Amino acid sequence: MEEHTHKNHKNNLAIPIAIVIAGVMIGGAVIFSNKNTNNNLALTPEKAVVENKGDLDQMMPITKEDHIRGDPNAPVKIVEYSDTECPFCKRFHNIMKQVMEEYGKDGKVAWVYRHFPLDQLHPIKARNEATAFECANEQGGNDKFWQYADRLYEVTPSNNGLDSAELPKIAQYVGLNVSKFNTCLSSGKYDQHIQDDLDNAMATGGQGTPWSIIVGPNGKKYPLSGAQPVSVINQLIDLALQEK
Amino acid sequence: MLIQALQKVYGKMSYVILTVVVSLAVFTIFVWLPNIRLIVDVFTSTDVSFVSKVKLPVSLLGSITTNFTFLSATYTLLIAILFGIYISITTYFLKHRIKEVGQSGVGVGFLGFMSGILGVGCAACGSFILTSVILFGGAGVLTFLPLGGSEFGIVGVMLIAIAIYMTAKKIKDPLVCKI
Repeated sequence: MEEHTHKNHKNNLAIPIAIVIAGVMIGGAVIFSNKNTNNNLALTPEKAVVENKGDLDQMMPITKEDHIRGDPNAPVKIVEYSDTECPFCKRFHNIMKQVMEEYGKDGKVAWVYRHFPLDQLHPIKARNEATAFECANEQGGNDKFWQYADRLYEVTPSNNGLDSAELPKIAQYVGLNVSKFNTCLSSGKYDQHIQDDLDNAMATGGQGTPWSIIVGPNGKKYPLSGAQPVSVINQLIDLALQEK
Repeated sequence: MLIQALQKVYGKMSYVILTVVVSLAVFTIFVWLPNIRLIVDVFTSTDVSFVSKVKLPVSLLGSITTNFTFLSATYTLLIAILFGIYISITTYFLKHRIKEVGQSGVGVGFLGFMSGILGVGCAACGSFILTSVILFGGAGVLTFLPLGGSEFGIVGVMLIAIAIYMTAKKIKDPLVCKI
């Protein structure tokens, strides 16, 4: 009888112990993160409320200032907000290249690239690499932008693993003037542009990367979170093309 | 002991079916979670055909290979399967020994499920679940976790496994006072 009661007592303790362990894990992590929000792209509570609502109509209009792969007048546009050090963005970059091979040739789809560097996960590097993209664009226009992007996504090991010394090497690889590239990289002249992209990603509801918005010919928008398979993107393109 | 308890439960086909249904449901929810908004948009659109409404969510399940790491895909599958088993044996237990509900590990199992959801959210860059739950600083949490949030998934698997063990033990142990 006593043994039975003792066993029940042990089982009863398991639940509170498990709750306490989980609580300590989550609570500790929150406390640690709040201590360091000044170094990061801190989300204020007010901002976070707006982000969680996320309105696709707040997407910045696509203009000639955007980095567009494919026909800019294509009926369907996929606007991707991406972080160069996110492993899922690396995967999604290849997925999008496949999509463009199928739909881009016929001018049905255009791929618009915007920056969404997650400073809390990939501090300094993601933002710096976004600047590198802009510097490639500054020197060689849209073609060099995409060549640079393709090469960077090819060589980065992701998760903040790309050595910053690789950035000028990639510039050289794609045929840019390295000296000019380095000057541009350290100038900070694209900081605001990158921040604007990031703010817009969050305003539209992006809470992680890659975050994409598929825009149909009539302006209807479909939100897509994460590195989804080619089949999903293709279906969304077909849906968008069918929209009246 | 665990095997014997499982043999007892799965001797009835209805519990096998319950496990499969719950496991599939949990797996589907976890994989769809980042794109619930898209699924709702497509389902509520009058311009989308019924076939497309069915095809898209099915295709989204393929993201287990593209939007998850090997680790996160593994614990997502494990949580789904274990939670299916857990619900089945708990149902069996409740049917047979309703008096011991409070000691059946129900709390631990659901805590494991909740922890698992956090782990799935963290699988994608940006931790949308954490951001939603904690409202701010969610992604910052991940900076301090060596596995980038997968810890929640692993803890989830462990908690559900403990809950299964506790419940199985109850099923196996006869309700008698030992001398």
